Parts: sequence; C-alpha cells; structure tokens
Amino acid sequence: MKTVNELFQYAVQNYGDSTAIIEGEKSVNYRTLMAMVGNLSKFLLSRGIKKGDRVAILLPNSIEFVSAFFSISKVGAVSVPINTSYKEQEVTFYVQHSGSTMILTNSELKPLADRVAVKTTSSVVVVKGDDPEWVYETDAKYTIDPINIEPGDEAIYLYSTGSTGKPKRVSRTHFNLVALADNHTETVGWSREDKILFTVPISHTYGFGNFISAVKIGAGVVTMGDFDRHKVLDILDKEQINIFPAVPVMLDVLAKTYLPRPIKLPSLKLVISAGAALGESTFRKFHESFGIYPRQLYGSTETGVISINLGEDIENTFKSVGQAVNNVEVRVLNQKGQVADVDEVGDITVKSPSMTSGYYGLVEETAEVFKNGYYYTGDLGRIDRDGFIYIVGRKKFFINVGGNKVDPIEVESLLLEYPGVTEAAVLGVTDGGGNERVKAVLVTEVGIEKTDILKYCKHSMADFKIPGIIEFRPELPRSPTGKVLREKLK
Amino acid sequence: MSEDIQSRVKSVLLKNHLREINADELGYDSPLVEFGVGLDSIATMELLVALEEEFKIPIDDQEITPQVLESIESISEYIAGKI
Repeated sequence: MKTVNELFQYAVQNYGDSTAIIEGEKSVNYRTLMAMVGNLSKFLLSRGIKKGDRVAILLPNSIEFVSAFFSISKVGAVSVPINTSYKEQEVTFYVQHSGSTMILTNSELKPLADRVAVKTTSSVVVVKGDDPEWVYETDAKYTIDPINIEPGDEAIYLYSTGSTGKPKRVSRTHFNLVALADNHTETVGWSREDKILFTVPISHTYGFGNFISAVKIGAGVVTMGDFDRHKVLDILDKEQINIFPAVPVMLDVLAKTYLPRPIKLPSLKLVISAGAALGESTFRKFHESFGIYPRQLYGSTETGVISINLGEDIENTFKSVGQAVNNVEVRVLNQKGQVADVDEVGDITVKSPSMTSGYYGLVEETAEVFKNGYYYTGDLGRIDRDGFIYIVGRKKFFINVGGNKVDPIEVESLLLEYPGVTEAAVLGVTDGGGNERVKAVLVTEVGIEKTDILKYCKHSMADFKIPGIIEFRPELPRSPTGKVLREKLK
Repeated sequence: MSEDIQSRVKSVLLKNHLREINADELGYDSPLVEFGVGLDSIATMELLVALEEEFKIPIDDQEITPQVLESIESISEYIAGKI
C-alpha cells in the first residue's frame, strides 16, 4: 500500500468488525467508519472540493476528526489539522498560509471559524455538535467515483515551530504517511487487539504519527479532548487501554494525582513519552504509582517518528529516546561534519522515507536543514554502542512548554503590537517542577498594567504561549552589535 | 483563616511555579493572575497536584474556578474547606 486511502481500505478489509474509534459513549467499527468516510467524501465533492484543494480540520480528537481526515484524503485533497487551542489570529494564519478553502469544525468553534472565514475567503462546515451541516446517515449508501491518487501527492500539511517568527509549512505525501505507519508499527509491534488513548492532539505530529499507525494495524483509537487527569485515569482503567502516548508533564500530573485508593492498570503495556525530555522523578514516580515505566519516543514534524526506547534495561536507559525505528537512519555528526564515534556528541541527522522534502516557500531555511538526503534536527546528541540515542541539548531556539513548542519571536511580534510596548524579549525559564515557562521582558513608553498585557495575550495567542512571567524594564540588555542578551534576562 | 495554610500555599507556589519571584513581592492577597497563575491549563494542573501532595487531599478540578485561583487567600480558603 502506498497511499493513505489504500492504508485505510486495508484496515477496513482486514479489521472491518474491529472497533475503530471510541469517543465517550460512542464507538464505531472500521466498516462503519468507511461508510462515514464515503458519506463525507460525497459531501465534500458536492461542496466543490477537488483533488489538490486544502481543507482545514479545526476539531478536537473525535470520530469526526478521523472521518474528516480520511474523507479529505479520499477526494485527493490535503488535510490541514489545526490545534483547537489556537486563537483567531493563529487560526487565520494557518488557513491563509495553507490556502484552505474550507474549514471543517464543530458548533463550539464555529464562531471562531466564521471570523477566520471572512478574512480568508474560506467556507465553514459544522460536522459535529449542535445543528451540523453534515450528518452521517447510517441508512444511506454513498460511493464516489474513484479519484486517482499517486503516492507522491500531498496528503497533509503540518506546521513546524522554529525561530523564524512564523510556523513553517511541512507537507507530507501519501507515501510519507504510509511509510511512517509502516516504520512505527513494524517497530512497536501493535496489533488489532490494542486500544490506544489519544489525549495528545491528533492535529499535532506526535499524535498524528501514533494515530495513522493505529489505523494501519486496525487498533482501537480512543479519543478524548483536553487533558483531564481524572478522566484520563478513568478511561485508562475502564477502557483497559494498552498504549498511552503522552507528554512528560501529563505523566507527572497523573503520577502525583492524589488517589484515595491505588489504581492498578494491568492492561497498560506501553506508555510513550515525547515532546520534551522525561525527567527521572517523573519516570520513577509514574512507575511507583502505576507499575509501568514510561518510554521515550523521538520524532519531529519534518520526519515523523525517529526512534523509541523499547530496551529491556529501561531502568538504566530511560534517558535515551531509544533506537531508530525500522527504515529510519540516524547519524550524529561531529564538529568536522564526520560521523561521530560511539558516545561522541554532535548534530543529530535523520534520513527517513516518511520525511518531508522541505519548507514551503522557504528556500534558505530548507537548504540549511535538509542536506544530502538528511534532515538536520537541530538537536545535539550521542549514540551509544547499542544504538541508543541520547539527546543532550538543542541548537534551535524555542521554548518547550509541556511539549508545545513556542517560538519566542512569534510571541515578541504579538507583544509589540500592543500599544505602548516598544521593545519585547521573550525567553524560556525553568520552574520548580523542571518545566519551561514563557517569560516576557517589556520596555514600554507608557505605564501598562501586567493584567492588561495578559488580557491581550489571552485574546491573541494559545494559552501555552502566554508569558507566565512579565517583567518591565527601562531597557533591554544588548551586546555591542545590538543583539538582545537573553541570558541576562533570566 | 489559618496562617499555616496560607504560608504553605505560598511555599507551594514559590517552590513550583513562581521560583523567579521574590517572596516579598507575593502577598496573601496579591492577584495571582499577575504572576501568570491560572493562564495555562497544564500549569494549573501541576499546581493542583502540588497542593494535593502538600495537604494530602483530593482536589476536584471542576471546583477550581478563576475565583479560587485569585490569590493565596482564596486558594487557602478552598483548602481549608477540604481539610
């Protein structure tokens, strides 16, 4: 199989009666999911969507999200998943930059989507919630004429956070996504019997990689919206979840949550931690609370899944992000640009059949990190004699808030739009729990209250980007060449 | 309200979330929103588990309204009602 449609068709043919998606009290098997996809595909065509068009998915993890993704693929269009925590300005950017002509959303987010649509000449279709424009009709049989889709056709746009002020568009083809699912599933050995809980957003590369892999193998995808610690524990227990992809801060919160009685989770066989480094206290505390050690996974928007730590000696190797998954090559290059020796620290580079060919419209940035068939991750690391990869630092300049990457330049630009702010410097500081937080240092020409800045931020940016610490200074420390000395602002 | 609870809530905040803040800047009635408390859902959850650990009580996240997170005083009042 070489396209997303073939991957989905394979799942339907082989696992038709298996549960595909569980969302709260609702669940659908693969056969029903196929009927929903046929139905929504027909609807998309009736609304003028055709091969090559871009369709934004502004939905939380849900049955409708999954139906939307496979329906868009079926008609040969490109999915543009958008994080539902983004605010109007951010959503507008993604819709505009991707050239999306339609936004699929729910009734709750419709007002936001409508405001974006006005500015971007896209249309809005509610597929979930109250008064939806598209509804799955169980007794209707819908088929569409086959649309020729090549493995090299674009399937999805994901966006990568960097330090360029704006997210960079990463296009992944049908072939890339199938390769991603192949590499991941062949390595982790999931089966149709497995149930995987998705509280990490499927709209993000980490959630998406696990999601497409789950479908390929016919596993059950259990969806939930925003992270709710008590609900997660409840679902892990009641649904007998086998695989749980999370970010370290979620694991930390779950492990420390006060429980009147200990919860045993015997079904859980793989807890994946990605998005940020897994701290030792979280690793040990999670095991203490639930009897299973989390294992680190490494990936990027540009490449998909790179490695996972499935090592037997996890107690001693937990700091490693593991060995490269099948068909993925990881090399560490030293300062001379040569392949580093065992345990020698250098630039981590990756070659993968699931990686993108570059950033849309950014020739220089693409040339800088895609060289000789390898992607230069911007992470520094080493590989031990057993092939276990350790990340020891990063060259890229961004703030990692609980697995969400924040571009300081983007936040600075937004802060500079506030009347009276003349200079802004944004940086990451580490809190007592070892997590990065956003700090903003502002120079203003008039007296401004912190609460006014925070109110503005709440309106303009996703919550995780809002500076938790705001400091006013008469001027920013600068080098003789005028560069802001961020280290002096910590 | 007990001075002990307020002082322990303040310690939790300073230790976990507001490490950069000078303790003198943070009064029991200081508006915590000015220090970024309650803005980010994950950070809020970290605060709640830290309070659970400190006071050995279960906290129902649904009860944590913006009013509860207004100040050390209001958090302490909520905690006092649980002990």
